[in-house]
Amino acid sequence: MSFLGGSSSSSSSSSSDVKANLVQQLQQESAMANARMLINKVNENCFQACVPTPGSSMSAQENTCLSSCMDKYISMWNITSRTYINRIGVESKRMGGDASVVASMGSGL
Amino acid sequence: MDPQTQVDLSKLNEADKKELNVVLANEAQKSNIQQMVHQLNDVCWKKCVTSKISSNTLSKTEEACAQNCVDRWMDTQIGILKHLEEMRQ
Repeated sequence: MSFLGGSSSSSSSSSSDVKANLVQQLQQESAMANARMLINKVNENCFQACVPTPGSSMSAQENTCLSSCMDKYISMWNITSRTYINRIGVESKRMGGDASVVASMGSGL
Repeated sequence: MDPQTQVDLSKLNEADKKELNVVLANEAQKSNIQQMVHQLNDVCWKKCVTSKISSNTLSKTEEACAQNCVDRWMDTQIGILKHLEEMRQ
Protein backbone atom coordinates (compact mmCIF):
# COMPACT_ATOMS: atom_id res chain seq x y z
CA MET A 1 0.00 0.00 0.00
CA SER A 2 2.52 2.55 -1.09
CA PHE A 3 -0.01 5.34 -1.46
CA LEU A 4 -0.41 5.46 2.30
CA GLY A 5 3.24 6.34 2.68
CA GLY A 6 4.02 9.95 3.44
CA SER A 7 6.70 10.91 0.97
CA SER A 8 5.67 12.81 -2.10
CA SER A 9 7.85 12.24 -5.11
CA SER A 10 4.89 12.46 -7.39
CA SER A 11 4.96 13.85 -10.87
CA SER A 12 1.20 14.38 -10.80
CA SER A 13 0.33 17.95 -9.89
CA SER A 14 -3.39 18.62 -9.81
CA SER A 15 -6.01 17.10 -7.56
CA SER A 16 -7.59 15.22 -10.44
CA ASP A 17 -4.21 13.73 -11.43
CA VAL A 18 -3.74 12.45 -7.89
CA LYS A 19 -7.26 11.06 -7.93
CA ALA A 20 -6.84 9.31 -11.27
CA ASN A 21 -3.55 7.86 -10.07
CA LEU A 22 -5.12 6.51 -6.88
CA VAL A 23 -8.07 4.98 -8.70
CA GLN A 24 -5.73 3.28 -11.14
CA GLN A 25 -3.55 1.84 -8.37
CA LEU A 26 -6.61 0.69 -6.49
CA GLN A 27 -8.00 -1.15 -9.49
CA GLN A 28 -4.65 -2.73 -10.27
CA GLU A 29 -4.20 -3.98 -6.70
CA SER A 30 -7.73 -5.34 -6.70
CA ALA A 31 -7.34 -7.14 -10.03
CA MET A 32 -4.03 -8.55 -8.83
CA ALA A 33 -5.54 -9.86 -5.60
CA ASN A 34 -8.38 -11.47 -7.54
CA ALA A 35 -5.98 -13.15 -9.99
CA ARG A 36 -3.73 -14.38 -7.17
CA MET A 37 -6.73 -15.93 -5.42
CA LEU A 38 -7.82 -17.65 -8.63
CA ILE A 39 -4.35 -19.07 -9.22
CA ASN A 40 -4.24 -20.45 -5.68
CA LYS A 41 -7.63 -22.10 -6.05
CA VAL A 42 -6.86 -23.57 -9.47
CA ASN A 43 -3.58 -24.91 -8.15
CA GLU A 44 -5.22 -26.47 -5.12
CA ASN A 45 -8.18 -28.04 -6.91
CA CYS A 46 -6.45 -29.11 -10.11
CA PHE A 47 -3.50 -30.60 -8.27
CA GLN A 48 -6.02 -32.61 -6.31
CA ALA A 49 -7.81 -33.73 -9.48
CA CYS A 50 -4.88 -34.29 -11.81
CA VAL A 51 -1.98 -35.47 -9.68
CA PRO A 52 -3.40 -38.26 -7.51
CA THR A 53 -0.01 -39.86 -6.88
CA PRO A 54 2.92 -37.48 -7.45
CA GLY A 55 5.69 -39.17 -9.43
CA SER A 56 9.26 -38.02 -10.05
CA SER A 57 8.05 -35.75 -12.84
CA MET A 58 4.81 -34.58 -14.41
CA SER A 59 3.48 -36.99 -17.01
CA ALA A 60 2.09 -35.77 -20.33
CA GLN A 61 -1.30 -36.98 -19.19
CA GLU A 62 -1.08 -34.97 -15.99
CA ASN A 63 -0.16 -31.86 -17.96
CA THR A 64 -3.11 -32.31 -20.32
CA CYS A 65 -5.38 -32.81 -17.34
CA LEU A 66 -4.06 -29.62 -15.73
CA SER A 67 -4.81 -27.43 -18.71
CA SER A 68 -8.30 -28.91 -19.14
CA CYS A 69 -8.89 -28.51 -15.43
CA MET A 70 -7.85 -24.88 -15.52
CA ASP A 71 -10.26 -24.12 -18.40
CA LYS A 72 -13.03 -25.90 -16.57
CA TYR A 73 -12.32 -24.16 -13.28
CA ILE A 74 -12.44 -20.74 -14.92
CA SER A 75 -15.67 -21.45 -16.79
CA MET A 76 -17.20 -22.64 -13.55
CA TRP A 77 -15.94 -19.48 -11.83
CA ASN A 78 -17.84 -17.43 -14.37
CA ILE A 79 -21.03 -19.45 -13.82
CA THR A 80 -20.68 -19.17 -10.04
CA SER A 81 -20.10 -15.44 -10.30
CA ARG A 82 -23.09 -14.89 -12.60
CA THR A 83 -25.42 -17.05 -10.49
CA TYR A 84 -24.28 -15.47 -7.21
CA ILE A 85 -24.59 -11.90 -8.47
CA ASN A 86 -28.06 -12.63 -9.89
CA ARG A 87 -29.13 -14.13 -6.60
CA ILE A 88 -27.91 -11.31 -4.38
CA GLY A 89 -29.66 -8.95 -6.78
CA VAL A 90 -32.90 -10.89 -6.32
CA GLU A 91 -32.50 -11.07 -2.54
CA SER A 92 -31.74 -7.42 -2.04
CA LYS A 93 -34.67 -6.44 -4.24
CA ARG A 94 -36.88 -8.74 -2.19
CA MET A 95 -35.76 -6.95 0.95
CA GLY A 96 -36.45 -3.60 -0.68
CA GLY A 97 -32.81 -2.73 -1.02
CA ASP A 98 -31.00 -1.09 -3.87
CA ALA A 99 -29.57 -3.67 -6.24
CA SER A 100 -28.12 -1.23 -8.74
CA VAL A 101 -24.54 -1.42 -7.41
CA VAL A 102 -24.64 -5.20 -7.47
CA ALA A 103 -26.29 -5.33 -10.86
CA SER A 104 -23.64 -3.06 -12.33
CA MET A 105 -20.93 -5.53 -11.44
CA GLY A 106 -21.94 -7.77 -14.29
CA SER A 107 -19.40 -10.05 -15.86
CA GLY A 108 -16.84 -12.13 -14.06
CA LEU A 109 -13.19 -12.22 -14.99
CA MET B 1 6.41 -6.24 -7.68
CA ASP B 2 7.47 -2.97 -9.21
CA PRO B 3 7.52 0.12 -6.99
CA GLN B 4 4.46 2.25 -7.41
CA THR B 5 4.33 5.97 -7.83
CA GLN B 6 3.94 7.86 -4.62
CA VAL B 7 0.89 10.06 -4.49
CA ASP B 8 0.62 13.31 -2.59
CA LEU B 9 -2.72 13.11 -0.82
CA SER B 10 -2.54 16.70 0.39
CA LYS B 11 -3.18 17.82 -3.18
CA LEU B 12 -6.68 16.36 -3.18
CA ASN B 13 -9.55 18.82 -2.96
CA GLU B 14 -12.75 18.06 -1.05
CA ALA B 15 -14.82 17.07 -4.10
CA ASP B 16 -12.19 14.59 -5.26
CA LYS B 17 -11.87 13.18 -1.74
CA LYS B 18 -15.61 12.52 -1.70
CA GLU B 19 -15.47 10.91 -5.11
CA LEU B 20 -12.57 8.71 -4.03
CA ASN B 21 -14.56 7.56 -1.01
CA VAL B 22 -17.33 6.38 -3.32
CA VAL B 23 -14.86 4.61 -5.63
CA LEU B 24 -13.22 2.99 -2.62
CA ALA B 25 -16.53 1.75 -1.21
CA ASN B 26 -17.51 0.29 -4.58
CA GLU B 27 -14.15 -1.41 -5.03
CA ALA B 28 -14.40 -2.83 -1.51
CA GLN B 29 -17.82 -4.27 -2.27
CA LYS B 30 -16.64 -5.70 -5.58
CA SER B 31 -13.69 -7.24 -3.80
CA ASN B 32 -15.94 -8.80 -1.15
CA ILE B 33 -18.14 -10.31 -3.83
CA GLN B 34 -15.12 -11.70 -5.68
CA GLN B 35 -13.87 -13.25 -2.42
CA MET B 36 -17.24 -14.85 -1.92
CA VAL B 37 -17.28 -16.18 -5.49
CA HIS B 38 -13.85 -17.75 -4.93
CA GLN B 39 -15.04 -19.44 -1.76
CA LEU B 40 -18.30 -20.62 -3.36
CA ASN B 41 -16.62 -21.85 -6.50
CA ASP B 42 -14.19 -23.87 -4.39
CA VAL B 43 -17.05 -25.55 -2.51
CA CYS B 44 -19.13 -26.14 -5.65
CA TRP B 45 -16.18 -27.44 -7.68
CA LYS B 46 -15.58 -30.08 -5.04
CA LYS B 47 -19.25 -31.05 -5.06
CA CYS B 48 -19.93 -30.90 -8.79
CA VAL B 49 -16.75 -31.98 -10.58
CA THR B 50 -16.23 -35.43 -9.19
CA SER B 51 -15.44 -37.52 -12.25
CA LYS B 52 -12.10 -37.72 -14.04
CA ILE B 53 -11.26 -34.60 -16.04
CA SER B 54 -11.25 -35.54 -19.71
CA SER B 55 -12.52 -32.42 -21.40
CA ASN B 56 -11.81 -28.72 -21.08
CA THR B 57 -15.47 -27.73 -20.96
CA LEU B 58 -18.05 -28.33 -18.28
CA SER B 59 -20.67 -30.98 -19.01
CA LYS B 60 -24.34 -30.01 -18.95
CA THR B 61 -24.71 -31.84 -15.64
CA GLU B 62 -21.74 -30.05 -14.09
CA GLU B 63 -23.02 -26.72 -15.31
CA ALA B 64 -26.48 -27.29 -13.84
CA CYS B 65 -24.91 -28.57 -10.63
CA ALA B 66 -22.81 -25.40 -10.34
CA GLN B 67 -25.87 -23.19 -10.63
CA ASN B 68 -27.90 -25.28 -8.19
CA CYS B 69 -24.96 -25.34 -5.81
CA VAL B 70 -24.82 -21.54 -5.61
CA ASP B 71 -28.58 -21.21 -5.21
CA ARG B 72 -28.83 -23.90 -2.55
CA TRP B 73 -25.88 -22.38 -0.72
CA MET B 74 -27.75 -19.09 -0.62
CA ASP B 75 -30.92 -20.89 0.55
CA THR B 76 -28.86 -22.44 3.31
CA GLN B 77 -27.51 -19.10 4.42
CA ILE B 78 -30.96 -17.53 4.39
CA GLY B 79 -32.38 -20.53 6.24
CA ILE B 80 -29.73 -20.24 8.94
CA LEU B 81 -30.39 -16.55 9.39
CA LYS B 82 -34.14 -17.19 9.65
CA HIS B 83 -33.63 -19.90 12.22
CA LEU B 84 -31.30 -17.70 14.26
CA GLU B 85 -33.89 -14.96 14.19
CA GLU B 86 -36.51 -17.42 15.55
CA MET B 87 -34.16 -18.58 18.28
CA ARG B 88 -33.63 -15.02 19.38
CA GLN B 89 -37.33 -14.52 20.09
